Amino acid sequence: MRILLTLAWRNLWRNKRRTLITVSSVLFAYVLATALLSFAKGFQQQMTETLIRQETGYLQIQDALYFDEPSLDHTLAYEEEVKEALAALDDEISYVVPRISGFSLAAKEMSTRPAMVTGILPEQENKIRNLSGNMVSGEMFGADDDYAVIASGLADMLELGIGDTLILIGQGYQALTATGMFKVGGIIEFQLPEQNNTAVFLPLKKAQWYFAADNRLTNLIIMPADTDRIDYLAGALRNRLDDEWYTAKTWRELMPDMVGLMEMQDTVYTGITWIFYVIVGFGIFGTILTMLYERMQEFGILLSIGMKRFQLGLIAFIETILICLLGIAGGILAALPIVYFFQIFPVEFTGEMADYILRFGMEPVFPFLIDKQIFFNQAYTVFGITLLIGLYTMRKIYAVNILEAAQN
Amino acid sequence: MQTVIKTEGLSKTYTNTAVPVHALKDVNLEFKEGEFTAIVGPSGSGKTTFLNVIGGLDKPTKGKVVIDDIDIATMKESKLFDFRMRHIGFVFQAYNLIPVLTAVENVSFIMLLQKRPKKEMEQRAKEMLEQVGLSDKLNTRPAQLSGGQQQRVAVARALASRPDFVLADEPTANLDTESAFNLLDIMARLNKEENITLIFSTHDQRVIDRARRVITLVDGAVDKDEHFERN
Ligand SMILES: Nc1ncnc2c1ncn2[C@@H]1O[C@H](COP(=O)(O)OP(=O)(O)O)[C@@H](O)[C@H]1O
Ligand SMILES: [Mg+2]
Repeated sequence: MRILLTLAWRNLWRNKRRTLITVSSVLFAYVLATALLSFAKGFQQQMTETLIRQETGYLQIQDALYFDEPSLDHTLAYEEEVKEALAALDDEISYVVPRISGFSLAAKEMSTRPAMVTGILPEQENKIRNLSGNMVSGEMFGADDDYAVIASGLADMLELGIGDTLILIGQGYQALTATGMFKVGGIIEFQLPEQNNTAVFLPLKKAQWYFAADNRLTNLIIMPADTDRIDYLAGALRNRLDDEWYTAKTWRELMPDMVGLMEMQDTVYTGITWIFYVIVGFGIFGTILTMLYERMQEFGILLSIGMKRFQLGLIAFIETILICLLGIAGGILAALPIVYFFQIFPVEFTGEMADYILRFGMEPVFPFLIDKQIFFNQAYTVFGITLLIGLYTMRKIYAVNILEAAQN
Repeated sequence: MQTVIKTEGLSKTYTNTAVPVHALKDVNLEFKEGEFTAIVGPSGSGKTTFLNVIGGLDKPTKGKVVIDDIDIATMKESKLFDFRMRHIGFVFQAYNLIPVLTAVENVSFIMLLQKRPKKEMEQRAKEMLEQVGLSDKLNTRPAQLSGGQQQRVAVARALASRPDFVLADEPTANLDTESAFNLLDIMARLNKEENITLIFSTHDQRVIDRARRVITLVDGAVDKDEHFERN
């Protein structure tokens, strides 16, 4: 066995230049694929996190029926049972953000517009999405105030300014009619038009009063202490809560379209890396084939004097694998500093592209993600391809006609 | 003396050609332990075919090759690998050696495949290289050796594992006269000292008279089988 390894290793360096070129091609493919995926994953992570923070949060407790039929009739009672469950999992939870929201009509004199009315605790809300930072005039209310903050698009359409009165008409809990008049105390700007044209914020208590839903919430957002443990946390919450009334859902369950989009992105990126690999695979394959044909006579002689096909095949197999391992090792060594560099000095977009990205509430700065899984996956893939080529070389050696090979 | 190889009615016909070629026709020969035999004859007379068939590298169309009471003509390929490794030494016309191994490693190679103890193997390899006059080239790779030196390493390798017999197909074909004589002298001496049966083919008049038995093939049939007394 040792002699086989020795032979394989020495054979590798018979044609140094060719071996180095092949190893380099593996190395470059590895680095390219790893860098691409580290960027893509970093981008995706940032995008996901932004969306999660602006939309659903990582995890929510809802009424059991709310997800399928989001209406105020399916609000949850924010009572002892829920509070006890949260207290029991205190270590896993960073903070909670309660919300109650529903559609209403917003009116001023003769004009009306649809509005998404959301009751919030501003202090909690700011932790997850810094609403106060987007105020364009007036002030964000405190928990005990009684004025409204409305989005700038809606304010323009209804010609509402600070100090004007906003009238809300809608349906509250258990089909009660909800009506209310609120002073506009602040105007906030959103980048997404849909949000900017409909958003109305009220202090949580006022909103619960308006919806006639005392102490009830549509969503109780939970910020986990460790975002990698949300599945565990969701499970733990479900276990503690009566599933007839409550459920806990993660952002993946709450935004299935988003998850689908991410999966599609992953498929595209994987596809691109496969293009690199196919090119490299053919490169290795070409080298190995040339090597096989050049050494036919030697193979014939070795098989004549008593070396077994399996032993000879193993040598060629090991040579192929060694090329791959050298390439992967070099690739890891080369990719690590590159990925680290772009994590510390991220890719930064400027100009129109930056404005466009900002509009979605994202920073136009994308650090690479360092994930050992990316490094491993690339290594497995290259190794898998090489394994196939190695098996092919073995098969070739099993097919060598000893006499012809030795005597030509 | 013991018979090492015995052929009975050995025939080989190639049918992959336009007209069938009768490369061997009813060859009945016996080789005894310690013999030093030259197979001679013009090009195309069947020398290579004969050596391939008795070396288990090729199958006869008809007849038997009996070695150690076994007819290797009917042996399966997978068995033949082992059989060749244990019983037969080979020297080819050229490219005998493994280019990435040194002389001493090349000579050890078959013993390595046979899993001989390391010490014994090394000692024997050195001894054999000494026997062929290359004790100063132990750690030299084939590319740094002349053609004659390479063939001497090949002879050392073929004999090192103490096979039942050694087959050499035109071992001097690529050598200059001096190297050719030198190689044959070494083969003759080792044949005697090691008492290993040696069969080589040649169409080279220069080296035929080194052999103690000369078998002449003509068109695949044994034309003459002569014995000479030499020292
Ligand atoms: N693989 C083969 N296919 C067809 N004919 C062959 C083959 N090998 C040898 N022959 C023929 O068999 C005859 C004997 O060849 P060979 O044994 O090589 O002779 P020698 O070694 O004495 O020159 C020749 O006529 C040759 O053309
Ligand atoms: Mg010949």
